[in-house]
Amino acid sequence: MLYFTLRRGLLMVLMLIGLLAITFSISHIAPGDPAALAAGPDATLEMIERIRTEYGLDKPLPVQFLIYLKGILAGDWGKSIHTTRLVWDDLVTYFPATFELVVFSILFSVALGVPLGVIAAVKQNSMLDHAIRTVTVAGVAIPMFWLGLMLQLFFGLQLAWFPLGGQIEMMTERPEPITHLLLLDSLLRGEFSTFTEGLYHIILPAVTLSFPALASIVRVNRAEMLETLKQDYITNALAQGISRLRVVAMYALRNAMLPTLAMIGLRFGWMLGGTILVESVFNWPGLGLYAVEAAIDSDFEPIMGATIVLGLFFMVTNFVIDILYGLLDPRVRAQT
Amino acid sequence: MERNKPMKSMIKMVLIVGAAMTVLVTLSLPAMAFERRGNEKILVVASRQKVPMMDPSIKYDASIRTLQQAMYDGLLKYVGNPPEFVPWLAESWDVSDDKRTYTFNLVKGAKFHNGDPVTAEAVRWSYARTLKLGKGPSWMLDAFLKAENIKAVDENTVVMTLDRPFAPFLSFLPWWFVMNPQQVMANEVDGDMGQKWLIDNEAGGGPFSLRRVEPGNLYELERFKGYWRGFKGKLGGVIFKVIRESSAQRAALIKGEADIVTSLSPDEFDIVSKLDGMITSTEPALTTFGLKFNTKAEYVSDLNVRKAISYAYDYDAFIKIFNGRAKLQTSPFSDAIKGKINIAGMPTLDLAKAKEYLAKSPWPDGGFEIEYVYVQGFDVERQMGLVLIDALKPLNISVNMVPLTWSSMVGRGSTVETSPQLMAIFATPVSTDPDAVAIQYHPSSWGRYYGSHYYDNEEVAALIEKARFLSSWEERKPIYEEIQRRLVEDQPEIFGMMRKRMIVYRDWVKGYEYSPVRMTEEVDFYPLYIE
Repeated sequence: MLYFTLRRGLLMVLMLIGLLAITFSISHIAPGDPAALAAGPDATLEMIERIRTEYGLDKPLPVQFLIYLKGILAGDWGKSIHTTRLVWDDLVTYFPATFELVVFSILFSVALGVPLGVIAAVKQNSMLDHAIRTVTVAGVAIPMFWLGLMLQLFFGLQLAWFPLGGQIEMMTERPEPITHLLLLDSLLRGEFSTFTEGLYHIILPAVTLSFPALASIVRVNRAEMLETLKQDYITNALAQGISRLRVVAMYALRNAMLPTLAMIGLRFGWMLGGTILVESVFNWPGLGLYAVEAAIDSDFEPIMGATIVLGLFFMVTNFVIDILYGLLDPRVRAQT
Repeated sequence: MERNKPMKSMIKMVLIVGAAMTVLVTLSLPAMAFERRGNEKILVVASRQKVPMMDPSIKYDASIRTLQQAMYDGLLKYVGNPPEFVPWLAESWDVSDDKRTYTFNLVKGAKFHNGDPVTAEAVRWSYARTLKLGKGPSWMLDAFLKAENIKAVDENTVVMTLDRPFAPFLSFLPWWFVMNPQQVMANEVDGDMGQKWLIDNEAGGGPFSLRRVEPGNLYELERFKGYWRGFKGKLGGVIFKVIRESSAQRAALIKGEADIVTSLSPDEFDIVSKLDGMITSTEPALTTFGLKFNTKAEYVSDLNVRKAISYAYDYDAFIKIFNGRAKLQTSPFSDAIKGKINIAGMPTLDLAKAKEYLAKSPWPDGGFEIEYVYVQGFDVERQMGLVLIDALKPLNISVNMVPLTWSSMVGRGSTVETSPQLMAIFATPVSTDPDAVAIQYHPSSWGRYYGSHYYDNEEVAALIEKARFLSSWEERKPIYEEIQRRLVEDQPEIFGMMRKRMIVYRDWVKGYEYSPVRMTEEVDFYPLYIE
């Protein structure tokens, strides 16, 4: 198991370096002049050149990459050419909002998706199964952007059950940061009304973001459960008089969960990278929006910073899933 | 059948409870109204554009300027429609006979938000800082004004001596804001003149002070109770909220979560303007939209080809795309620019004339393709490209539509070799002086986004240079008329339209004053109040 963990860890570091090199090349080779854009529409050529020199954009690309890597190793994530803010400060501001949203979404997807998958499998071909499958097909097919808008207009505007967007009410001041996670910080600071407000605000964006993941989890879990329920050891367990509920929950689900777990890991990573649409619709001040706006502005260092954080998170999630996979399935440990 | 009974009654119960909850929640909705902090009324302005930073020496755009002019004062200020600059921190000024020396007399009693007095030295320091850092608005004056030629002669008098007379000088001053040197320098890090601190802080003396910043999301300002000019109505403060989606802005306005929205799409604007309690403002702006030719590029370097394309274009489309909220240009200058005249012979759709011009070119039968570059995701510009495709079919000219990010467009336009044959450009001059538009057609503008035309006419360039250094308007006026005529003759772009600004606000918002000099989405908070 130790060898397995070390090997995966090493692979992760190599992947991160590869990701950095690819992102750096693509973002710098793409047409665009960040210095001209940052200098403003009326800037003179001298002003543009001054900014180009200030940010080292006049140096050859490999040199720029080495300087960037050196900075990262020294803990300097650079600064935005557009806002002149330190990238690290931005990441600390924007990432927690996205992380909170994604954690809520994945919890929602799993809490609902796994039981629905099991129910659909156990009640195969019943009306309930058909209903669940219809919803899951819709979950995969409906564009997240459209779903978000519809939920916002219906539950936010029409019924006014939920806020239209944002993390908390406009007039509410955020708690003094400890972890930078709004919900956690408001709890730690004892600001329970802010915590409730935060929960109230996260529901619509989290439901929107979780819908495609929910659909995938239900589908995979249902398929795996169906397969598992056909196995001889299940028939044997039932024949021995073990209750159906116990057989399904203890024996079938445990085995069916392996591919579902892999799916959850992948979805977690996709959600982190795919929050942009939800963040845009619900005005959620997260990292997805930050990264896209940086890309539009050809703002290299924020692009790199966001890529490192998102990439690292994706890798760590899958690393943890791999470990869990190994723990759940002895065959995986044996193979490695 | 028996097994389905409980399920059916459960569904029925859920539906009844759901319907009852809907009715209850809908009935118990709070009355839609403006925000309050204590007893103070707070105005909420929603904009799609984030605020990258707030330092007056470093950057300006619509959202930045909205906050800058709320928190800082300039010596002069643009107001009204047509726009004119009026005395502000400078209550009066004198100009020397040689038109090089300006003496500004400051109002007495003006204070910064921390209570320090606004002095002539603060004005001098602020101008010197902007000139020294060489960013943001520095380009407006740095060719004519040196920091050492700005003197604070006493507590309330500033003298600025220009290297040579520069006619548009005063028209730029509203965008040069006065900062509190003590406050800024107290926050200096590594000799940065307070640049890092001023990203998210302010050191102004304008009508509002900064209360709270959530970068990229929300900026809360509160009324500066010691503001020297006082206020028309009572307003506790303003929240500038970034809401990126047009439909989300519409929803926020309807729900009362925003009092003013600045950037609805034309269709969203139509929907909202029909609702009760909404007031709309649609006025022509200083901004013009045109399709810039690269006058050095293949095919369109030929004047006859440019004329042919200009006469083939369907100009009505400009109006239709904005649901009627646009006005065709009758000159290269927009209406609010001083000295603008209607030019006879501005191209309109005339296919016969287009064919006539093309026949005079080396490609009388067309048979070539031109590239049209526009902002990716900006549907209005995409539609204009589609109109262009249809318009040029009769001339046997095809169009390759290329969507690019704004950054990439700026990059493409920065050299004559890469600048596309046609580029969709909205351009907003920063002042109402005709030089602000004319200079866009001078070789010194080549490489900037509005100079992607690489228009090269030595006579016109000489006229532009001559006019900007003359001090008498009577002398300048005929020159600018000539420049307008020559630009239409040379057709460095398809002169398009002036899009009207579309602002919607709730009927409890009072005091809204429009001025064409403001950029798209830019709002002046000072005259606003809630009733």
